[in-house]
Amino acid sequence: MKTLLSRAILGAWLGALSAGAVLADDVILTHDKPFYSAFLQAVGDICGFKEQSYNPPEQFKAFVTSSIASGQTPEIFTWWSGATFRDEMVATGQIGQLDDLWAELIASGSFTAASAEPFTVDGHIYALPLGINKWVMLYNPTLFAKAGIEGEPKTWDELMAAAEKLKAAGITPFVSTNQDGWRGFIWFEEIMIRLSPTAYLGLFDGTTSYDDPIVREAFQIWSDMYAKGYFSDPRSNQEVLDFASGGVAMNLIGDWAIGLMAKAGMEVGTTLDAFVVPNIKPDLPAGMIYEASPLMISVEGAKNPAVMNAMRCWASDAGATVWSETSGLFMGNLNAPAPNAIVPKINKFAVDNGAALYTRWWEGVPADLQGDSVAAFASFMLNPTMEQADKVMAQLTTLHDAYWAENK
Amino acid sequence: MTLEPATLPEDDSAIIARLGRATLARSERVLRRRQFRIALVFMAPAVILTSVVLLAPILFNIWLSFTRWKKFAGLDEFAGFANYTNLLTNPSFSEASTNTVIWVTASLVLPVGFGLLFALSLRGLPFENAFKNIIFLPRVIAPTSIGVIWFYVYAPKGVLNAGLERVTGSPVDIGWLYQDNTIMAAIVVTYLWQNVGLVMVLLLLGLAAIPTDPIEAARMDGATPRQVFWHIVLPLLLPTLLVVSMLSIIAGFGAFDLLWVMGLGYPGRRTLSLSVYMYFEGFSKGSWAYAAGVAVVLGAITLVVTWLQAWLQVRADGLKG
Repeated sequence: MKTLLSRAILGAWLGALSAGAVLADDVILTHDKPFYSAFLQAVGDICGFKEQSYNPPEQFKAFVTSSIASGQTPEIFTWWSGATFRDEMVATGQIGQLDDLWAELIASGSFTAASAEPFTVDGHIYALPLGINKWVMLYNPTLFAKAGIEGEPKTWDELMAAAEKLKAAGITPFVSTNQDGWRGFIWFEEIMIRLSPTAYLGLFDGTTSYDDPIVREAFQIWSDMYAKGYFSDPRSNQEVLDFASGGVAMNLIGDWAIGLMAKAGMEVGTTLDAFVVPNIKPDLPAGMIYEASPLMISVEGAKNPAVMNAMRCWASDAGATVWSETSGLFMGNLNAPAPNAIVPKINKFAVDNGAALYTRWWEGVPADLQGDSVAAFASFMLNPTMEQADKVMAQLTTLHDAYWAENK
Repeated sequence: MTLEPATLPEDDSAIIARLGRATLARSERVLRRRQFRIALVFMAPAVILTSVVLLAPILFNIWLSFTRWKKFAGLDEFAGFANYTNLLTNPSFSEASTNTVIWVTASLVLPVGFGLLFALSLRGLPFENAFKNIIFLPRVIAPTSIGVIWFYVYAPKGVLNAGLERVTGSPVDIGWLYQDNTIMAAIVVTYLWQNVGLVMVLLLLGLAAIPTDPIEAARMDGATPRQVFWHIVLPLLLPTLLVVSMLSIIAGFGAFDLLWVMGLGYPGRRTLSLSVYMYFEGFSKGSWAYAAGVAVVLGAITLVVTWLQAWLQVRADGLKG
């Protein structure tokens, strides 16, 4: 009896272990987003791959860099777009090309050719999108109504007037946070593209210095907003809670956060909606920040039919539908149902206004400078005076100028 | 009682004469070899484990520090001393080094000072064991858990500010873990809370080992408690103090968990200590070779401190003898 019982327990334990275990023949999708694990696995269940997450992101980076350095590139994995994708990842020569698959997807009408641009290097396409997200101002319509704000702000002055009304009604207008250590650049980049997209893009190749008058003007506007009490406490690490609990009226963030807010109890249309931040200089064309997350395969993976089938399935209408329905995220497949009512609204704004899409600051700047620069922005948020802004600008100028002097 | 000559053991010369020098030498060699092989079998697990888990990674790390490995490339490129010259001219390395010295000093002086105070005060008190257990308790909690707990103690709307508001009767909004002038002190207090119990226990063991005779003799000669402490207890406690101090210094140089967890929202987190800086450079920026250089410097400092401890220990034992 005892033996039977112990065998049963051992069997159950091994069964439980093997249920979630990754086997040698499995196609693995490696990523750094454990909060997406269930959604990725839902797609994996129909597309024949298993997801495997590494967290924190440092552990994921260490895994990927050491794997590539030792010639053991993961079969399918996520990374970041922009400079690190173009100048570092693709340059390793270990990333498989997806030109043929993209030709199929564009021909079928499920993806636009523009969707491939963030993943194109020297005429070849090296990734499928995990997500294509636009950065918008999420807001709480209930709080807007409570403060007597009618409609969404169409100009910068209207946005500031709305902030003033919210403040007068005892509601903090904007979320400010350094949560997870990377959010420091969000308001800086938004103010910069509303002042001068050209100067903003110049930050990515060193043609705009961080002591440029436009940069100082951006800091001045940002500092004034803090001085007027428009922001929540930047020391809070409860971004979702601060916004979803109704304590703060607006949150400038990627549209990928809509799903998180909905899961935290906000209802699209009632307590959650979004608008594109208006330009500070009204004569500028419409535009917004976008962020593209690549899903790549190794050169060896490209030779493996199981890997290619998994990638084809990921981008298919069926795969994109499961992804949209489970995660509430948009991967770019036009035939998949919209994950929520906000994404099509933002896309319509972009089409109707011919909005330019600007690379997010994080992906735009050289990867080596991301950590130190974002820490400098965070130090400004904790002490948002112009005196501190000047220090931060000097620090950023030294850092970036030294980099561009070596890497022009 | 007399012994019979036949029962007397043979002396060495008699044995050598009987067996022959060469035979004896051979059998001794065989015996030594056999003993060596047996010893080797017993030592093998430790030797293999130490070599594979400790020595090989250290040697690999030293070799890495002479390469150009950054992110995906450079592992096969020899850089000479470039990484070392880079770190010596890098202001972030200087900042991390300065913070490490501050951290090590504070995390040495305070736990040893308070540990000694508690050890001396608690001896012989009623409920001595209860007090000792309470003070030691934080030591059994994982450092990362302690970091998270204290992160919320120090939060702007945390327990500490709430307590200060009660005491002062006015709003207190100090971001203890967000300001240059408070973050290090705040983390040192947490470190003290976590470690003072262990230091106290080690010093209590040292105090228990001190012979009572010289203390009683001094008291009979009219020495005051202060004189007894400075001239008898402290010198006899010196070897224990030395061990505790060196352990604190070595732990201080390697400190990472509390600084990393509690420095979460602090913009200067990456230079809070050399360990944190090394982690940031390696794991976040992918500058593996450079981070390996920082690790070698950190290891060298710890090695020197350990050697110093051994040297001072010998001198202290000599003084004691």
